[in-house]
Amino acid sequence: MSRKILEIKDLHFSFDTYAGEVQAVRGISLYLNKGETLAIVGESGCGKSVTVQTVMKLVPTPPGRLKSGKIIYCGEDITHYSQKEMQKLRGSEMSMIFQDPMTSLNPTMRIGRQITEGILKHENISPDKAKQRAIEMLAKVGIANPEKGFKRYPHQFSGGMRQRVMIAIALVCNPNVLFADEPTTALDVTTQAQILELINELKQELETSVVIITHDLGVVARTAERVAVMYAGKIVETGLSRDIFYKPKHPYTSGLLESMPSAGQVEKTLTSIKGTPPDLFAPPKGCSFAPRCKYCMNICTQTDPDEVQLENGHKVSCWLMNPQAEKRELPGRKSRLSTQKPLKEGI
Amino acid sequence: MAKHLLEVKGLKKYFKVGRNQILHAVDDVSFNIEQGKTLGLVGESGCGKTTVGRTIIRLYDADGGQVLFNGRDVHQLNRKEYKEFTRSMQMIFQDPYASLDPRKTVGAIVGEGLKIHKLCETRQEYTERIYELLETVGLSREHASRFPHEFSGGQRQRVGIARALAVNPKFIVCDEAISALDVSIQAQVINLLVELQEKLKLTYLFIAHDLNMVRHISDDTAVMYLGKVVEKAETSELFETPKHPYTIGLLAAAPEADPDFEQSRAKTLMSGEVASPINPEPICRFAGRCPYARPKCKQNEPELMDVGNNHYVACYKVQEGW
Repeated sequence: MSRKILEIKDLHFSFDTYAGEVQAVRGISLYLNKGETLAIVGESGCGKSVTVQTVMKLVPTPPGRLKSGKIIYCGEDITHYSQKEMQKLRGSEMSMIFQDPMTSLNPTMRIGRQITEGILKHENISPDKAKQRAIEMLAKVGIANPEKGFKRYPHQFSGGMRQRVMIAIALVCNPNVLFADEPTTALDVTTQAQILELINELKQELETSVVIITHDLGVVARTAERVAVMYAGKIVETGLSRDIFYKPKHPYTSGLLESMPSAGQVEKTLTSIKGTPPDLFAPPKGCSFAPRCKYCMNICTQTDPDEVQLENGHKVSCWLMNPQAEKRELPGRKSRLSTQKPLKEGI
Repeated sequence: MAKHLLEVKGLKKYFKVGRNQILHAVDDVSFNIEQGKTLGLVGESGCGKTTVGRTIIRLYDADGGQVLFNGRDVHQLNRKEYKEFTRSMQMIFQDPYASLDPRKTVGAIVGEGLKIHKLCETRQEYTERIYELLETVGLSREHASRFPHEFSGGQRQRVGIARALAVNPKFIVCDEAISALDVSIQAQVINLLVELQEKLKLTYLFIAHDLNMVRHISDDTAVMYLGKVVEKAETSELFETPKHPYTIGLLAAAPEADPDFEQSRAKTLMSGEVASPINPEPICRFAGRCPYARPKCKQNEPELMDVGNNHYVACYKVQEGW
């Protein structure tokens, strides 16, 4: 059962600033199947947050400007929906969890009201029923003593608990799509593991599709079925998680994977990607990764590569894929299962 | 002549947070670091790892215990001796956006230590030394006249490293030196740190929460929980055969860039949250979250003990082999 619930077609989005136009998203196409988890990975400033915020229409325009592209949700073109029309979708059809649970909750409102707000807005339901739903949801996300929690203020919760509240707010109206923008970046590892597991459980229970934005490849490996790797406002490689990790075809993906130390690594020097990401005021001509790429060829600095289709929906935008280019084996990760006995685990 | 460059013995640092409320940020922490080695210090936020780093370098005064650097207690030094000491020990801070003075040029930031310690005799020597330092960390001499806001995060962290290196230190405390950086930049900075360590025979205390990076860079690793070191061993030993229930949970929680492995590993989560470090009772601080806890754990506090192979664990379960 593989049905596209959300599709983005050739999206271009820019910000007009005093210094000029920042081309944050430069032609992105991706889709999300029902019930799957898609991860968007990339470094800061590569446009991953802007992409999903554009879908939710959360970027103020101006300074933001949708230049071209299409956003299709459940077969309907929502590209030019007004804010009023979007309000009907937000919360009930698609919702979002933000990175920083400290700043994205309203500090002057009790948790309960922040959760019921969405229900009352979207559904014709009595306040008492809404309260009951909210308390159920709080219990579901693992807040001990939900009746008490309902009456509390955000500052009375810890970071992990606040993120649970955020998830409760996002999922209380049972949306089809959940965007999680760096949901665990501000959290500790053990809390991160709890939150990721919670998102996964709720996803299965409520049959939600999830788009998770992160820069942590470990989080990707743990959660996602499909991955899109972004660089400088474009998707450079997309495919099944296993293909991306073990058989990357784009030098940037391969470089990212290599720059993380692996468990059994002996050599002290990590393979790093040289240089820094380009300035999106004036993106370079040709492939935007070319200045940092160790396999850079003449053509790379001249023209942007086309997307090449490989098996299992694996797509790459790189000149190395061209039949005329020299064949290169790009290093990926090796699974621990094939090389080592797994870590002894308890608890 | 002391074998260890740095010896920390029973270090304590408490903060008063209210009436009769004392936050035990660091409570009886001991470890040694040999010359030229790296000790990794890991733990979750609020466990006191940054406070350990800051107390070692005497940004905080200790409330108990000793920090012996080359055999001398850092906290007993008088002003003149302390100034001399700051030449041997430097720190790289977590946030490269907050730790550089925005009103100074990069040259002035890097050269501040040179001026304070009067390490250069002529103006020319001073500028030459700044250029040399910038080049050591992979920046160029033109950068000296620029201001911090003109640099990216990775470059700023390089400036922070150049500043630390300016006075030829023997020991550097890296307090989350890479956590604010992007993945591809992290590798660059780690490589730089490793390279400098080999070239200049530096000793590091590497404080971080990224377990994979600690595993990569450290010779020994210590795990902290609520102000205490709960486990300490050679890095490979610690990561391959973790013994303390907290370390095991921490390692299981850290995701790895390996989808097949992630799919197969048991989803065993540590429940609960860290207890409060304010006025803690003298019991095992992990007992509230520990699945193996027995009454004894909630009555006494386990000491850090060698369980063989220089592997130190503070846990009754491991020590007594339940």
